[in-house]
Amino acid sequence: MFEALGLMVFYENMLALNNVSLTCRDGQIIGVFGANSAGKSTLMYALSGLMLDIQRKEQMQGGERITIRGKVNYLGNEIMDYQPARRAKAGIVLCPERRRIFPESSVLENLKIGGYLATPAQAKETLDYVFSIFPALTKLKDRLGGFLSGGEQQMLAIGRALMAQPKLLLLDEPLLGLSPAIQYWLAKSIKDIRDQRGTAIIVAEQYARPIMPIIDYGYILENGSAVVEGGRADLMDNPDVRAAYFGN
Amino acid sequence: MEILIYGLINSVSLALMALGFTLVYGVSRLPNFAHGSLYVTVGFVTWLLLNRLGLPYPVAMLVSLVLIALVGAATYQFILVRIRGMAISEIIASYAIGLAILEGLRWGGLKGTTLTLPVFAQGSVDILDVTVDFHRLLVILLGALLVGGLWMFVNHTKLGLALKGMAQDERAALTLGIDSDRMAVFSMALGAVMAGLAALVLMPLGNIVVESGYHVLIMAVAVCIVGGLGSWTGAVLAAFIIGFAQILTTAWMGPHFQVVVALLAIIVTLISRPSGLFGRQKELEERV
Repeated sequence: MFEALGLMVFYENMLALNNVSLTCRDGQIIGVFGANSAGKSTLMYALSGLMLDIQRKEQMQGGERITIRGKVNYLGNEIMDYQPARRAKAGIVLCPERRRIFPESSVLENLKIGGYLATPAQAKETLDYVFSIFPALTKLKDRLGGFLSGGEQQMLAIGRALMAQPKLLLLDEPLLGLSPAIQYWLAKSIKDIRDQRGTAIIVAEQYARPIMPIIDYGYILENGSAVVEGGRADLMDNPDVRAAYFGN
Repeated sequence: MEILIYGLINSVSLALMALGFTLVYGVSRLPNFAHGSLYVTVGFVTWLLLNRLGLPYPVAMLVSLVLIALVGAATYQFILVRIRGMAISEIIASYAIGLAILEGLRWGGLKGTTLTLPVFAQGSVDILDVTVDFHRLLVILLGALLVGGLWMFVNHTKLGLALKGMAQDERAALTLGIDSDRMAVFSMALGAVMAGLAALVLMPLGNIVVESGYHVLIMAVAVCIVGGLGSWTGAVLAAFIIGFAQILTTAWMGPHFQVVVALLAIIVTLISRPSGLFGRQKELEERV
């Protein structure tokens, strides 16, 4: 359903993403692993279209010159020149790094704002669903987003992204700053979302351990290039991957 | 009692003047220094439609509100969008637009103090020995309606919630399909309409003069700084503080000190609490 071909992103002359291609089929969970500055967030920005917005703003302010090359095919359309809002409307929704919760809105309001693209019936159904997979949020309905703990914020961020009715959900470092127990629990929730709603998901993460077991296919990014790719079993058997991400 | 009633009226007037400014700033971080000129334009255009074209009063008001919404949207779409995100340029450009409009109006014949809009209702009433004319009472009512309506819009409609989301984190809003450029255009149009509504409600109390454009801008900026830039609750609260302070100084020290109060309020706020009463909540930022 989703295919990125030969993506390249330059910040001035620095190559942040080097000829990365990635495929995601219906209902798959794809993992993108890599250390800090390997290009995970740049890739997510390129896939969600935010890169275009960043590029335009930098240009307007006379800042960094950003160059984007490559193709993105999605449900039979070439969408590389779609602006981020249009991609979201088409069903590609990014849950951004560091969550970016609306800090001055309550939990419920965050979710309602997320439902901007949903019909009233969809919004109601999704709201119930979010509270059913993240019951902890039910009690916090009226708490301001800024006063939530990291784990609660991450649940809210994923819930908010679900409210936008994604067909393809992009998760950028969802486990960042969470305790190992919550990391495993959240990874299971991500899998549940795919199993129960059929949403295709691409996860970018540096903590491979909790995510690796739930993916169908994965890519390892290093210095902006996809150096290894393969199915879950292949990746887990690969000695380099084991050494780098599992410590044995 | 007189102080209470006239303080209330003055406060509501200030809130009316400031709401459009704070709305635009809150949503798109754009300090719209053309706000006062939009205010005067609506008054003048309504007067023209009323007296030159002979349109009925409600129709004239409606037409000029639609026109000013278009002017607001166009200023953003064609001029301000190019310098988006550069605060200083935004101030200079929007102030220049405001100057051009105001001085253009003066050049185009808006001089002297002879132009007036009719009041909505003639006559006056005595409340506890204080004489208040009907129009001033209507100002309170309409102001309350407007604030209430805005509150409903922002908290209970999809579009309003989208504006609120964009005000807090534009990039996060983008990922949810909220088109930030279109929202900014819309907020400018809405802000212009708010300025227009303020003009229609307040102008019948005085003459249509170019100077009121500058006055409205100063008041709007004062209210917004005291209330905390971009905060709507803050703006309403600040309007009441400054509004009553002005009426009190008028009663005790004379009417010349009215504007001084507003400017002093800016200075005191910037010294003691730079982010304003309801400015971006510091405690939140420290935690996140």
